[in-house]
Amino acid sequence: MFMVMNKQIEDIKEIRKMMEKSSKFTSINGLSLIIAGVFATIGGWYAKSLLNNQYESTDLILSLFITALVILVLAVGVISFFAWRKAKKNNQSLLNSVTRRAAYNLLVPLVVGGLFSLLLLLRGDMALVASSTLIFYGLSLVNASKYTFSDIHILGICEVIIGLLAAVFLYNGILFWILGFGVCHIVFGTIMYIKYDLKKK
Amino acid sequence: MTNIIAKLNRTFDHQIRLGIMSILSVNESVDFNTMKELLELTDGNLASHLRALENAEYVQVTKQFIGRKPNTQYQMTELGRNDFKEHLNALERLIKPNDPAEKNDNESNNKVQITKKVTLLKYFVK
Repeated sequence: MFMVMNKQIEDIKEIRKMMEKSSKFTSINGLSLIIAGVFATIGGWYAKSLLNNQYESTDLILSLFITALVILVLAVGVISFFAWRKAKKNNQSLLNSVTRRAAYNLLVPLVVGGLFSLLLLLRGDMALVASSTLIFYGLSLVNASKYTFSDIHILGICEVIIGLLAAVFLYNGILFWILGFGVCHIVFGTIMYIKYDLKKK
Repeated sequence: MTNIIAKLNRTFDHQIRLGIMSILSVNESVDFNTMKELLELTDGNLASHLRALENAEYVQVTKQFIGRKPNTQYQMTELGRNDFKEHLNALERLIKPNDPAEKNDNESNNKVQITKKVTLLKYFVK
């Protein structure tokens, strides 16, 4: 009787494991989110100092844009590198159907948001850029979160709320930027690092 | 008790087959190599279990070429989905605590938890 029960429990564990493993991308490392958050905070402070020194000119917009782009590349680079390492350690390939689906769902709103924010920037409409980047980034995370840890869903919701607040309190864009891209990532990175990475060691 | 066990599907009486059905229940279609990687199996082992499920008409096989490479896609059939769900139901009934006097027992609390998990799993296998 007990033997039977144990086999059934093992079966259920296997079913659960396979359903999750085949439909969720679990190679995101909490530590990489923290590092990305630190980059964003530093970039934010740098942008703030740029703003304090000059007032709206094409040069300023260009240097802010380049700062944002550098931070984005660095953050994506760190997160992908850590994910690649974690996947390799677990003997999984990083490019499978789950990651492809997750990436697609992340990129659709993200690219639209990026282009939209770029258009705002080109029109010299600086006020709403922080808000639109945060909102679209948050929606991308919400959209892609069904393929990964549920924490990413909550992170996305937080980003959207901060983005909306940035639209209410205009002209504090950089502060909300630091809050959304910096502080949020550091907080959620820490939570995810403790929850998933520390536990496994 | 034996009655419930009899309802467990013999075709699924192997963890690898359960694994295959679980993967197919949450993915529209999965190719051979992805399946191999997920289940950490050798080609031959996976192929023999897939063939058993194919013979039971639980999975549908589509062979195609991507460039010059052969690519085999597996999909769950309606019958497979139904019978897998039945199997999950049977598992659930088997571990459901049916004696209320036992309820405070630690072990049966554990069973309640697992039963909840099975119910959750069934939600995915619509």
